[in-house]
Amino acid sequence: MNEQRTVRDALYEQPDAGTRKKITLVTVVSLFAIAVFMLYILKLFKDNGQFDEKYWSFFMRLTTWKFIGEGLLGTIEASLLAGVLALLIGFVFMVMRISFYKPLNMAGTALTEFTRGVPTLLFIYFFFLYVPKMGINLPSIWRVSLPVAISASGMVAEVLRSGVNAVPKGQREAALSIGMRETMVFTKIIFPQAIRYVIPALVSDLVIVVKDTTFSYIVNFPDLMQNAKVLISNYDALLSVYLMAAVIYVLINYFLNKVSVTLAKRGGMVPVVGR
Amino acid sequence: MTISELLSQYGEKYIQALLTTWQLTALSFAGALVIGIIITVMRVCPIKPLRIFGDLYVQIFRNIPGASLLIVLVYALPNLNIILSYYQCVLTATTMIPAAFCSEYLMSGIDAIGIGQIEAARSLGMTFGTMMRKVVIPQAVRFSVLPMTNLLIATMLTTSLASQVPLNPKDLTGLVSYINTRDVGGVTSFLISSIMYCGTAVIIGQIGSFIDKKVRIIR
Repeated sequence: MNEQRTVRDALYEQPDAGTRKKITLVTVVSLFAIAVFMLYILKLFKDNGQFDEKYWSFFMRLTTWKFIGEGLLGTIEASLLAGVLALLIGFVFMVMRISFYKPLNMAGTALTEFTRGVPTLLFIYFFFLYVPKMGINLPSIWRVSLPVAISASGMVAEVLRSGVNAVPKGQREAALSIGMRETMVFTKIIFPQAIRYVIPALVSDLVIVVKDTTFSYIVNFPDLMQNAKVLISNYDALLSVYLMAAVIYVLINYFLNKVSVTLAKRGGMVPVVGR
Repeated sequence: MTISELLSQYGEKYIQALLTTWQLTALSFAGALVIGIIITVMRVCPIKPLRIFGDLYVQIFRNIPGASLLIVLVYALPNLNIILSYYQCVLTATTMIPAAFCSEYLMSGIDAIGIGQIEAARSLGMTFGTMMRKVVIPQAVRFSVLPMTNLLIATMLTTSLASQVPLNPKDLTGLVSYINTRDVGGVTSFLISSIMYCGTAVIIGQIGSFIDKKVRIIR
């Protein structure tokens, strides 16, 4: 019936008449302050001629949006490829980490920590500057997706591991006692449940992948950001195009976060806020 | 290049780059904490417009890619006659984004306290101020030690954005790309930087979990 009460609503008692008056007053003052702030920004735009028609009219053209759409498609492609790769690599790291064989276990831990402690850009530069020198020429989508995936794999491995840990221990013992092997227990009993637990968290990790693919411009892969640059050189409209690109990214990621929260409500673990 | 060649030629620069990364991280993290706390206060206060403003800030800055924000700051702001130095641009980007996450962590810290405790505090006759000081804030701070540790590490990773603008001295990522565009730095040149990043992350993580063990509330 009524929306779920959160702590932030529970903090305050029902205000009495005096408090209500005070709240109204501060509300008006804060509204005024926000309005002044907005007007100041609008004035900055106006004073510097950023509302001129030439900066915005091309957004009315279909070709502009087609071009932006192509860029968006590039972003989605690169993100999906990176997401799938990160899932595969992360899975391998996780299996290494939970294995009973000590050296493998240590290697898994080291790889997970390494990929989590190194910035994505360093991986991108490695694949952009160093790998071609070894004579390996990857297609441009791989030059962005592979480093982004490696960078996310440690995070994914941890998410998967938390899912595995969330499966009650008794289930493994029960499965072992009816004669299943460890591998079978993992593939038939534990992992199918674990993956269901962590789907919301994996979706929210996709946000990080989408953000990291913005570095596509380094390797010249035509994603949203790269196409935005082309639009800018065509129309000589820096501010409007970059703002539009930023808004599109924010909307995509906002949507992904919403999906993740919705999935979490249907069951599964609540995802940890990423980075 | 062998490791000794690399160190003799660029060793000093690596140290400088490490210090630059640390400096950026520390400044951004401090700024992110301040802004994050202000935004969180806005989000929990009973004033509707401020709540909306706070929520909007968080949704924008937790979802915007760092590169996109940095590009807006560097290339688009001069069109509004706001001219920041490259260093200021990087610092702004690496502060605004972690600030949004900081606020998210604090909010989940507050949510973790549970409505029951708030109601109990009120039924004991505590005033709003007492309740905040004795019940809400101490627990929220304790809950946020581990998230804040992760935030500090994430902030450090975000400072690699500095490599996207010409800075002097360079940060760890910028230095590696500089070495490898003019020289054959090889795997080692990447490895040195990544070990420095990882080492920092491990140290931060250790300190964080040490503090967390001291203050954690076991329920």
